[in-house]
Amino acid sequence: MLNLMSLNINTPPTSAPVSRRFALVGGLAVAIIIIFFVLPGLLLASDTNTNAPAATARASEKKPVRQLSGAELYAIHCNRCHQERYPEEFNQDRWKSLIFHMQVRANLPAEQARIVLKYLQDQSGN
Amino acid sequence: MKIHSTVLGLVAAGCSLGLTLVPSAQATVSDDDFNALKDLVTKQGQKLDQLEKVHTQDQQAHEQDQQKISQLQQQLSQTQTLATNAVAKAEAASQIQPIYPAPNPAPRATHDFLVTGDAEVQYGKAAGGNGTFGLADFAPIFLFRANDNVLFEAGFDVTLENNVDGNGNPSGGSSTAVDLSFAQLDYFLNDYVTVVAGDMLLPLGTYSERAAGWLNKIPDDPLVRDYLPGSGIGAQLRGAIPIGSGAQLMTYSVYGVNGPSSTSLTNANAGNLDLEGNVGDTQNWHSNPSGGGRIGWFYPWGLHYDVELGVSGQTGQWSDYSGSYLWSAAVLDAAIHLSPYFEVKGEYVNTWQQTDNAGTLNPNGVWVQAGYKLAGLKKDFPVINNLELVGRYDYQNDNQGSIADRYTSGFVYYFSNTLLFEGDYEWYLVHGQNPNGYPPSLFVLQLSFGF
Repeated sequence: MLNLMSLNINTPPTSAPVSRRFALVGGLAVAIIIIFFVLPGLLLASDTNTNAPAATARASEKKPVRQLSGAELYAIHCNRCHQERYPEEFNQDRWKSLIFHMQVRANLPAEQARIVLKYLQDQSGN
Repeated sequence: MKIHSTVLGLVAAGCSLGLTLVPSAQATVSDDDFNALKDLVTKQGQKLDQLEKVHTQDQQAHEQDQQKISQLQQQLSQTQTLATNAVAKAEAASQIQPIYPAPNPAPRATHDFLVTGDAEVQYGKAAGGNGTFGLADFAPIFLFRANDNVLFEAGFDVTLENNVDGNGNPSGGSSTAVDLSFAQLDYFLNDYVTVVAGDMLLPLGTYSERAAGWLNKIPDDPLVRDYLPGSGIGAQLRGAIPIGSGAQLMTYSVYGVNGPSSTSLTNANAGNLDLEGNVGDTQNWHSNPSGGGRIGWFYPWGLHYDVELGVSGQTGQWSDYSGSYLWSAAVLDAAIHLSPYFEVKGEYVNTWQQTDNAGTLNPNGVWVQAGYKLAGLKKDFPVINNLELVGRYDYQNDNQGSIADRYTSGFVYYFSNTLLFEGDYEWYLVHGQNPNGYPPSLFVLQLSFGF
């Protein structure tokens, strides 16, 4: 991080009204509540709505659950924090070490990490 | 010896016979008899010479045999010594071998050593100040995978610093600073539990674990992260539990660390909180360690469509001067991806610090950051497709009379998947005191490379 103290800062900024500050913080609090609690609830409800007859009917027609592929799990887990690395960037041994590292750092499930590793090793070409 | 006796016997017998027969011989011995006797004596003398030669040869042979026997005895003695030493060494070796050998989970050589990490160069200019290349950072991460269960990882930050005197004025030259960001041993106990020990990045929110220069899209750290420790010395259990057959999962982390400490042993005043000290090269600076953890939930409903929520916290002593003074923190974190192009993430941080001179302080803050990749516009412009627009809002309240708001807008240009050029402009609004010296505005450019 840039050391702001080294940039010879001398000009003090002006203050904002306190009421504006509270409004801002309040708005953020509402946004956080929505992000944390309302949105997940809606997502879960849309996924597991078992009370409605229509939902029951849909459940009976539900397709068999498909196991996610290594490429899909790679896109889901890795791309949420950084750009995807190409499988050819590392060899099989390197990928194994990197996946171990990411399994700890990003708390990846072991079984899914193994599937992703197999995908990367198969595609690594070396 | 036997030959010698025989010769002497023959000589004695000859002499005796000669003396006995002389008187009568003078009377009766003829020339023929004398000559015969003379021949006999001559032959006996020749035989005696031959016997002496044989005796001499036998003595020489005997001496040679004695020498050979002596050599053989010496060789035998050496062989016996070697055998004795070999037995002693074997006995010693058997005593060194452990009776119950430690298990070796690696049936063959499976280790691997890898260097990964990132590097950054940063240029910044604050309003009212001089522009400068403010940072050249090399941050390698060393990974050593011992086998299928053990990984050791250590991260460093290597930077240059101007030399300054005690008043902060230039004193000439520069020095290299090497900081150990983390150094931890990971043991994969099973599919659901990983044991971590060492200097660990703390899972207070997600920022410190996912903040490498080429990962975060804005060069500066969120202001409120100043209220949290980045790492701690201790041990941790962590893992993930899949929910259902998709990629939905729950994650957990539970840890114990030395915890923060005080820069003073004579009081527990507010300004003495030391979040990054107490790293274990002395006894604990206070009597009790700190405990903490995080629980997270990750729910993807499509490729690049997901939400992650987390709750984390830590509590423990920071000073035990004339009592027990606690420091605690709670963090809520959230991240949402809506398509490969749009994401929003942020954290809310609240901390509590019991003090001797100011009661219980409550430093807190929040940051929210959004990014949109222009490739989502589906326009066939190469430059545009490599560009991402980012924005962030920061709020920081130290609960001691200083509140800061910061608004940031910027961009990320992706030269490649790991080479990023970032730029942002920041506006600060400080209410009350300005102990951190925040400028009214600031712009920062950064080149980041992940390797």
